[in-house]
Amino acid sequence: MGQIAKIQAMLQNGEISCVELTKKYLKAIEEANGELNAYVTVTPDEALETAKKVDEKIARGEKLLPLEGVPMTLKDNISTNGIETTCCSKILEGYKPIYDAKVWEILKSQNAVLLGKTNMDEFAMGSSCENSCFGGATNPFNTDHVSGGSSGGVASAVSGDIAAFGLGSDTGGSIRQPASFCGIVGLKPTYGAVSRYGLVAYASSLDQIGPITKTVEDASLVFDSISLYDENDSTSVGKSETTFDKLDNDIKGMKIGIAREYLDGVRDDVKEAVLSAAEKYKEMGAEIVYFDLPALKFALPVYYILACAEASSNLGRYDGIRYGYKTTQSYEGTHDMICKTRSEGFGEEVKRRILLGTYVLSAGYYDAYYKKAQNLRGTIIKAFDDAFKNVDVILAPTVPMTAFKMGEAVSDPVETYLTDICTVPINIAGLPSVSVPCGFNSKGMPIGMQIIGDKFKESTILNVAYKYQQACPENFKDTKWGVKL
Amino acid sequence: MITREDVENIALLSKLFVPEDEMDNLTQSMQEIVSFADTINNADVEGVEFDNINNLSNALREDVVKPSMPKEEILKNAPEQAEDHFLVRKHS
Repeated sequence: MGQIAKIQAMLQNGEISCVELTKKYLKAIEEANGELNAYVTVTPDEALETAKKVDEKIARGEKLLPLEGVPMTLKDNISTNGIETTCCSKILEGYKPIYDAKVWEILKSQNAVLLGKTNMDEFAMGSSCENSCFGGATNPFNTDHVSGGSSGGVASAVSGDIAAFGLGSDTGGSIRQPASFCGIVGLKPTYGAVSRYGLVAYASSLDQIGPITKTVEDASLVFDSISLYDENDSTSVGKSETTFDKLDNDIKGMKIGIAREYLDGVRDDVKEAVLSAAEKYKEMGAEIVYFDLPALKFALPVYYILACAEASSNLGRYDGIRYGYKTTQSYEGTHDMICKTRSEGFGEEVKRRILLGTYVLSAGYYDAYYKKAQNLRGTIIKAFDDAFKNVDVILAPTVPMTAFKMGEAVSDPVETYLTDICTVPINIAGLPSVSVPCGFNSKGMPIGMQIIGDKFKESTILNVAYKYQQACPENFKDTKWGVKL
Repeated sequence: MITREDVENIALLSKLFVPEDEMDNLTQSMQEIVSFADTINNADVEGVEFDNINNLSNALREDVVKPSMPKEEILKNAPEQAEDHFLVRKHS
C-alpha cells in the first residue's frame, strides 16, 4: 500500500488524528533536519491549522478527498501565498509570493498538509543540491552523500520519511535524478500535463512540475490530482485520462525498448541493475526490444544551450526593484544598482548559466549555437516519435552513477553536467518519464531506472513501474529516519 | 576561443559584474563549457526544423477584463517604495 492510502486509512479508522500525525512529522523534521538539511522553511502553524480542519471533517463523518490530511512538502520554487519562496537564492531572500502556484492551489483545496518548503539547487540549476544558498540536502541512505538535484530537498524529505510526498520540478532531470539517488519514485509528466503557473521559471520550454513519492501508487494519485487544465499556463493541456485505475493492468505482450546509446558510459552496477529489471519484465511476459537512438549523442549540449539561453532571459527579471534582494553597496544610477544587485544576489553556477545563455543568443553566435540546437531538438523529438512506433515504453538508467559524496560535484562544471545525460533527452522531447528504484550498489546506495513513455502516456509508464514495484519490493527500502507508519 | 574581453562583454549584456580576481577562472570555465557546446557542430545527424513541443499552439484567453491585484499587495515585496510606486533612486 502507498503512503497516502496508508495515512488516509489511519485517519479514517481513527487510529491517529491528523493533528497528532502532523505533530509526529513536525517532530521528526526537528530531529532529522539538522543532518538532512531537507527543509529550508518549516510551516508548523499552517500545517496544524489544516490538520485541525481535516479532523473536524472526519468527526463530521465526511469522506476524505484523495490527498486530504497527508503531510507533504513543496520545492522552494513553487509559489506559496504568504510563505517565503526563495529558490534557495540570496536574490529572493525574504520574498513572499502574493499568490499560490496552481499545483499548490489544487493541493490546498484538498487540505493536503504543507509541512514546509524544501531545499534545491539555486534556481533549479544543479545536480547535487549543493548550489543552494542554504547548503545542500543530504542523502538519507548515507548523509556523506548528496541527495541529488535540483529537487534534492524534496527527495531527501520523502526518502527520510519527514514528508509523505512532495512536488518538485524537472527541467533536465531535477525530479528523477534526486529520486534515483535517494531510492524513491519521481515522475516527470509530459510537457503541458501539469500547470506551471506559479513555478519560478528556469527554462520555460523544458520546465515541468511532478510528484516525488515513496511508491508508484502515491505518484499516480498525486499526478491524477494535479494534472488539470489551467488557463494561466499557456502550455497547459491537462490530462487525457487517469492513471490510478490502470496501475495493475497486465503488461503481457508489451514492448519495452532499450536504446543501446542509453547504456554507453553507464557504470557497471547501474547497467546490471537496469538489465536485470529488463529480465524481470521478460518473466512477466513483456518483450524486450533493443534499438538505436543516435540522436541521443547530442542531447546534453543541446540541453545546456537551450536551458541556459532561456534562463538568461527568464532571470533578467531580478533587478532589485520590485521584489527580492537589493544591493547594500552604494551605486551610481539604475544600471549600476541592477548589476551590483545581480552580482551579489546570484550564486556562481547561476551566473555561469546566465553568461553562457547570453553568449549563445548574442549576435554572431545565435546561428551556430541556439538555432543549431533548436534544429537538433527537432531531430531528437523525431527520433523518439519514431521509436514509439515500435515500442510501448523505453527502459533506461536514470543516472549513469549512484549518489556521489558531498563536495565531489562542485569542482568541474562540465563533468557535473554529464550526470544529466540520461534525463535531459526526455525534457528536450517533452515526454513523460518515471524513475523507480531498481537496486543498490555494493555500498548500499540506491540505483534508479526510468520508464519513458510517449506523450501523455503517464498511465502506461506508471502501470509498467507499478508492476516492477510489485515484483521487486525489496528495492523500495526505508531509511532510519523519520515517521514510520 | 573565449577571451577575457568576450566575458567582459557578455557580463555587461547580462548585467553582471565579474570581480577582477574571478576573471581568469571564469574565462577558463566558460571556454570549457563553450567547447562542450561546440560538439553540436559535429552533429552527423540532419537537423529538423523545430517549431513547438507536442503540437502546442498559442492558447489565447477571452479578452475579458478581470480584477487585478491590489496595489499594496504588489508593492509588499519591493525593497523600496514611495507613494504607491516602486522607488528607484538615481544614487544611493
